[in-house]
Amino acid sequence: MQNIIETSGITKIFDGRVAVDDLNIKVKKGEVLGFLGPNGAGKTTTIRILSGIISPTKGSATVAGFRTDEDAEKLHEIIGLLTETPGFYERLSAKRNLEFFAKFYSNIDVDFQVNKYLKLMELWDRRDDKVGNFSKGMKQRLALARALIHEPEIVFLDEPTAGLDPEVSIEVHKLIIKLKEEKRTVFLCTHNLEEAELLSDRIALFKTNLVALDTASNLRNQLFKREVIIEMESVDNKIIEAVETLNFVQGVNKEDKQLVIELTEFDKNRPDLVESIIKAGGRIQSVFERKHSVEEIYMTLIKEEDKEKG
Amino acid sequence: MQNKMAYTRINNVIRKEWETTFYNLNSALFITLLPFIITLQALILIYLVIKFSSSDALVNTILQRGVDTLQGTMPSLLTLSPLEKFQVLFYSQFPFYLLLIPVMIAISFATFSIIEEKQARALEPLLATPVRTWELLLGKALAGAIPSIIITWICAGIFLAGVKWIGTSHLLKYVITSSWWISILFFVPLITVFGFMLGIIASSRTNDPKNAQNLAIVIILPVLGLIGIQLGGYVILTPGLLVIMAGVLFILDLLILKVAVRLFKRESIVIKWK
Repeated sequence: MQNIIETSGITKIFDGRVAVDDLNIKVKKGEVLGFLGPNGAGKTTTIRILSGIISPTKGSATVAGFRTDEDAEKLHEIIGLLTETPGFYERLSAKRNLEFFAKFYSNIDVDFQVNKYLKLMELWDRRDDKVGNFSKGMKQRLALARALIHEPEIVFLDEPTAGLDPEVSIEVHKLIIKLKEEKRTVFLCTHNLEEAELLSDRIALFKTNLVALDTASNLRNQLFKREVIIEMESVDNKIIEAVETLNFVQGVNKEDKQLVIELTEFDKNRPDLVESIIKAGGRIQSVFERKHSVEEIYMTLIKEEDKEKG
Repeated sequence: MQNKMAYTRINNVIRKEWETTFYNLNSALFITLLPFIITLQALILIYLVIKFSSSDALVNTILQRGVDTLQGTMPSLLTLSPLEKFQVLFYSQFPFYLLLIPVMIAISFATFSIIEEKQARALEPLLATPVRTWELLLGKALAGAIPSIIITWICAGIFLAGVKWIGTSHLLKYVITSSWWISILFFVPLITVFGFMLGIIASSRTNDPKNAQNLAIVIILPVLGLIGIQLGGYVILTPGLLVIMAGVLFILDLLILKVAVRLFKRESIVIKWK
């Protein structure tokens, strides 16, 4: 699949402070890329560079074939940006705000698109109300409508669910999934790790520079050994001894009523392990793989990065 | 096609500027009422001076020197009575006094406009649309300049009607001279641009419209100074001198426009405008 976003060593320095350092990243067309990083990591600066709002100090970026620092006007026709703060003219109505932003795009039917997105974001009944009277969730939905009003191919979302209640967050997630189904490219900037895993095809971990870039499962496999958890009615020494004698078992840990076991070949060894435990008198309630959370991946990688940087 | 889009975008910016400015009661009252108050104040003042003072009372003031200097540049004044000469001197200052109106309106528009954008935090999403920086700046400038110039010209009309109402319409031919037209047609737009750009520069550095508007004093003081030195007879601004001054103001406009455009770069707006 072709790359729709490509950066080549982009670096941004503000008054001597490096915000983005030598970022090389490629995003495929139709992909949802989760761009993860702590506060102040340079995520928003990266989005601003990629959306052609600011220029890199060094390096270059192309989005859909347009140089972000040279073809901003053409680029802005095909990208949508959800900024970290949903800024609106608070004295104007929701409809008027959307109309204002929509009229900057060529080749769109402003009235049709405005009505479509007001309905899609469930703001139709409040379309004539001043935005100043809207809740944070409503403003965020309106900001999403604004980012999508011209049906962009590429959508940059900067913390789309920050500060939203769970109900609204779920709605936003559904919308991102819909964008993915429509084969649009989404650059999802977030520090919500669960959100990143739920929605992204790949995750880029970023802290001024790119720390890691892969799918969540590949990152997990690179960082952690696969372990099986056997949950039982009770765990006694006889069972532990029986497990330890198995030649494919590399390590056993008892955690309350669970045994956490590391195997030589995860998929092949599991049936034999289960059989041995039953033979030893163990009453198994469930067997599942220990799944390291994205949070664990994140913390491990960030700690390694900090250690490297000293 | 591109020109049509630019026109649509500029028009879009102008419309939004007018809506947001006139939805704000403070700015709406300031822009619409203040110019008429300034004009009426000038008319009432002139009326009272003329009604309740005699030419004898004015002869011994510094204003006599102003009349003498004016008479030097306009010999036809010799046929008028001493009181009428004073009236012409007063009326001749109005085009300069009138310059306070575009200054105030343009600065108000610029400050309300930019600070509204900053407070709304709408500039970043706006800059992510295909609007070009010059289209945005021109749209904002025109949104301020159009009402500013129209209101100022309406006030000039009201003043002339007032002069007639006071019963001195026979003096209008001494007032509506080439200096009057230079001031109305050139100084008003030029000073509007200057005021607007000054407002943009000031607003980019503050979040309080009042702080930004205080900068109006930079323009108001020289304008009041012009009136003062004319009334005192130190200088009379002849058409030639006014053309030179308009040229200087034009150059100042270009310089300040350059500064404003630099400040209005996307990166400055997003990163530095706090």
